[in-house]
Amino acid sequence: MRKYSHLWFVLPGLLFFSAVMVGPALFAFVVSLTNWSGLGTDYQFIGLKNYVDAAFHWPFYRAALHNFEIFIAILIFQHTVGLFIAVQLNAKPRFMQFYRTVVFLPVIVSLVSTGFIWTLMLSSNIGFINPVLHDLHLGFLAKNWLSDPNWALPTVIVVICWNSLGWSVVLYLAGLQNIPEEMQQAAQIDGANAWQIFWRVTFPLLSPSFTALTVLTFIGTFRTFDVVYVLTGPIGSPNFTTDVLGTMIYRYAFGGSGFNNSDLQMGFAITMAIILFLIMTFVCWAMIRILRKREIDI
Amino acid sequence: MTIATDQFRRRKRGANRKRTMRMVSFARHVFLSLVSFFVLLPIGYMVLASFKTVPDFFGNPYGLPSSWAVDNYSRAWQEAHVSITLPNTIFVTACSVLGSVFLASLIAFGLSRKEKPFAMALYTLFVAGLLVPVQMIVLPLLILLKFFGLFGTLFALIVPYIALGLPLGVLVLAPVAATIPRDLVSAAEVDGANPWQIYWRVVLPLMKPGLISVSILNGVWMWNEFFIPLIVAFETESQTLPVGIVAFIGAYSTEWGLVFASVVVSTAPVVFAYLLMTRQFQSGLTAGALKG
Repeated sequence: MRKYSHLWFVLPGLLFFSAVMVGPALFAFVVSLTNWSGLGTDYQFIGLKNYVDAAFHWPFYRAALHNFEIFIAILIFQHTVGLFIAVQLNAKPRFMQFYRTVVFLPVIVSLVSTGFIWTLMLSSNIGFINPVLHDLHLGFLAKNWLSDPNWALPTVIVVICWNSLGWSVVLYLAGLQNIPEEMQQAAQIDGANAWQIFWRVTFPLLSPSFTALTVLTFIGTFRTFDVVYVLTGPIGSPNFTTDVLGTMIYRYAFGGSGFNNSDLQMGFAITMAIILFLIMTFVCWAMIRILRKREIDI
Repeated sequence: MTIATDQFRRRKRGANRKRTMRMVSFARHVFLSLVSFFVLLPIGYMVLASFKTVPDFFGNPYGLPSSWAVDNYSRAWQEAHVSITLPNTIFVTACSVLGSVFLASLIAFGLSRKEKPFAMALYTLFVAGLLVPVQMIVLPLLILLKFFGLFGTLFALIVPYIALGLPLGVLVLAPVAATIPRDLVSAAEVDGANPWQIYWRVVLPLMKPGLISVSILNGVWMWNEFFIPLIVAFETESQTLPVGIVAFIGAYSTEWGLVFASVVVSTAPVVFAYLLMTRQFQSGLTAGALKG
């Protein structure tokens, strides 16, 4: 009896978790086997047809590609600019606390607030950026940032960069502070220059931060929804150039501007959400396995 | 002779080095100030925008407001329904944080000994919840909430928040609970404490730093959460700040002053808490990331 006594403590949480997460996830799988629209009670079981349809549904790939572009851009940004800022902060300049506090600040600002701030900043006529450019006689640089098909996605990426920069700085800084100074000193005595010390000693020792940040960025960018919803709306305007998986699934499940009730395909939307879940689980598992291998214990 | 030149050279090199160091340090400050400026600019702009009148947005897009429209805030309180959504947000966040931290700490204590039956399997199950996209479970959840008559109440938010907060809580707290010395637990057992007393009197106080981390981690996303209330809360009475602002802008799209007054109200409490506890926020939020 005592052998299982610990499970009594797990039980309340487990019941709650089963009712609100596991149960609905299983139910979602059942819905993914139907052609239910989400309204009314009219549905038929159609087997795996939704999954096959999703595999040949090109907007699904378009949205996934946008997610992927955002992921790569943010990843590069965090591992270059974020790492560079962290290295500068690790040199412990004066006001280091101030800089660190400021850089992390946007992380706690909600993505909805971030979206509103930047909607106004980037607005074509009222905003901040275009009027400043005009007054600096750089008017030719002004763009319709969020409605020009060529600029909309890069602009969304810049906004996400602003919101997520703090993660990389704080994660890398924590990693840098964990490295014992003797290791860098030892390399210096052996005649390594600063550049060599950084790439041969410091950077390999930062691999736990690298792993955490990469996985975190992957999960975050493939879940993008709030920012796009606020900046360019649930249809990822202009002309779906900023459409991501989050907004696309939302649109098929619950509608959005330009969509009416006859377009709703709840079963199909849930199918795509399940595919997203499976892909994310697999990629995270693979990334952690691959990236953990290059981690070294100090 | 050679010694003298050597010393001279060394001194010269030292001076050169000092000068380079000073220049590097100066460049570093310039760089970091620039970064801070670009980070703070949009936040400062948000605060300024919340005091502007509608004509100001067109006539004077980036300067200081020509007249400080403080009544944006009182109007937002009424017209943008901040008077309803702010208390809602506070209540929902408080209940969900307490609920998720309490349940997660119970689970962490129960699973703290990995050799016990099912401990690893259950741990994996909870942590896998981190990867579930909300879109996948939100519809069945909606049906469930309707069935229990919670639809349209604040519990329609609190229930999913607690469930979604559990994986992070277990992820952070299980390792913390596992490091609690077993001697301490067995000593309490010898003294005749039952498992509940051990949890409440011995383990919970020792998990305090972890509990604070989880509270911050969950509190921030629960305060800011947008997708779930967007699906579940149609009526102003059950909306939280982020979705309330979006609903408001849908109705009055040109009242930017009021929108930004609401945005400031929704951002300020978190920023304020962050400035008071910068260290706990940074370590708390990264704790979850590094363990994942």
